[in-house]
Amino acid sequence: MAFDRAISRQLHEEHAATLALWGRVEQSLAAGAHDAALMREAAAALAGEIERHFEFEEAQLFPRLAAAGEGDIAQLLTEEHAAIREAGARFMTLARAEPPPAELRPLAFELAERLVSHVQKEEMALLPALEDLLDEQADRELQLAYAS
Amino acid sequence: MFANAARSRLLPMSLPFRYFGAAVAFNVAAWALLLANTRELNAFAAGLGPVFAALHLVTLGVLAMAAVGATLQLLPVATRQPVRALWAVKLAWWVLVPGAALFAAGAAAYRPQLMGAGAFAVVLALTVYGVLLFANLRGARGMRVVVMHGWAALACLAALAATGLALAARYEHGLALDHLAFRNAHLVLAAYGFMGLLAFGLSNFLLPMLAVAPPPPPRTAYIVLGTAVAGIAAAVAGWLLPAALLGLLAAGLHVVSLERSLAARLRAPLGPAFLLVRVSWACLVASLVLAALMALDLAPARAPLVFGLLLVPGWLLTFLLGVLQRIVPFLASVHALSGGRPLASSLTPHRLLAAHAMLHLGALVLLVAGFDVPGAAAGLGAALAYAAFFVYVLVKARHRGIRPRHQPAAA
Repeated sequence: MAFDRAISRQLHEEHAATLALWGRVEQSLAAGAHDAALMREAAAALAGEIERHFEFEEAQLFPRLAAAGEGDIAQLLTEEHAAIREAGARFMTLARAEPPPAELRPLAFELAERLVSHVQKEEMALLPALEDLLDEQADRELQLAYAS
Repeated sequence: MFANAARSRLLPMSLPFRYFGAAVAFNVAAWALLLANTRELNAFAAGLGPVFAALHLVTLGVLAMAAVGATLQLLPVATRQPVRALWAVKLAWWVLVPGAALFAAGAAAYRPQLMGAGAFAVVLALTVYGVLLFANLRGARGMRVVVMHGWAALACLAALAATGLALAARYEHGLALDHLAFRNAHLVLAAYGFMGLLAFGLSNFLLPMLAVAPPPPPRTAYIVLGTAVAGIAAAVAGWLLPAALLGLLAAGLHVVSLERSLAARLRAPLGPAFLLVRVSWACLVASLVLAALMALDLAPARAPLVFGLLLVPGWLLTFLLGVLQRIVPFLASVHALSGGRPLASSLTPHRLLAAHAMLHLGALVLLVAGFDVPGAAAGLGAALAYAAFFVYVLVKARHRGIRPRHQPAAA
């Protein structure tokens, strides 16, 4: 989908990067391999995503979504953030361990599914809604807020 | 127009699920009726009777029922418009379910009066749905490709209802009309028109979304739509060979564009749902090849029956069952209220769905090959397995603390 708002495009690009990375993680796990470097890369990317992307959405975007009458979708996405944070915290700890603990593999599969499903919902519900809700001024302000 | 518009695009769980549940139940009823009357299958020529009833249990009870539930949940996502009135969604279900049952019972019992009452109720329900669809499409702001398919499907639905009422009036009151022409128009408008165009349109965003793939180019989708509409119009006008060739072109482009999209997906496994989707595409193409051969008088005597099998259970039902097995767990996981978000995969009975796929595909092969009793038995087994899948999701969702929401959460 093509987006007119700069903030939507930026989030969309980050979603694409997340899907690509966790797609590689899934493929590696499905092949029965343990790629320690890939797991650490996924853990680092997830930490950054939770700190920056999630917090920005929760502080700046979900309230706008709720104010526009999409409170249930904002609530759903917030709850998914919480579930990803919880699984992500365990994953980041386990991904550093050598040798890899047995729980790492199922946890990585779970996170891959949670992240993909979450991105799908944001692409379907959040980003199209932003296209309607934001004017150019609000779009610029959000870009600045995200960059700061 | 309807008042009291819902504010959110996410429907309460009970609304789409009541349509899906009814569709699953009608699917079992259709295959059971067919199994009990397989001797009439080879002689079937669209007249009243149990086979006609079984066919309409599938078209009205399963396909139209699930299409209403699925589009009212999915289309608002594409159009960025909420459904206008939740009470109307409930009303349509309460009229459509008894209407479809009455229509099929009347047809099976050779009682045109009962059938006429059922047809009236079905048309009433589909009119309510049509108004909801119209309102949603009129205010649409996103995904123009899907919206344009929606308009075309809505036009076909209106013509389909008119031809259906005319055919019911012929059975009930002896209305004089060109039965063959109306029957063919009704079939084309229902299968390739209303259901087919909805399936084509929603496929453009739903299948890439499920596969985590880029959508097909809009330009290709518009060419597919234009070609398909031209083919449908030609078929309604009675120009069957051009219609079949245009349909083949549209179907081929549609499948190729979606296969290209799927090839660029970011997740490797597509799962058994996409096996059913691909088989459904093969049946669509095969139905159109057979239609062309029939138009050229080159098809064997059994071709009309095989055409119907490829078209209804082969293409439309198989596609629906494939897509629904991904949508139902997804929506159930979305509606979890507390206790953590369950994964859609944790609500999916994979072995049961694998058994369903084997039985359903086996049923198609056996019926097309002329093994009617084992084919219908396998179809009934598949329908029961699918019903078990649906119940499994509901029970599992309930076990995990998921409750249907009566209203979306307030903003």
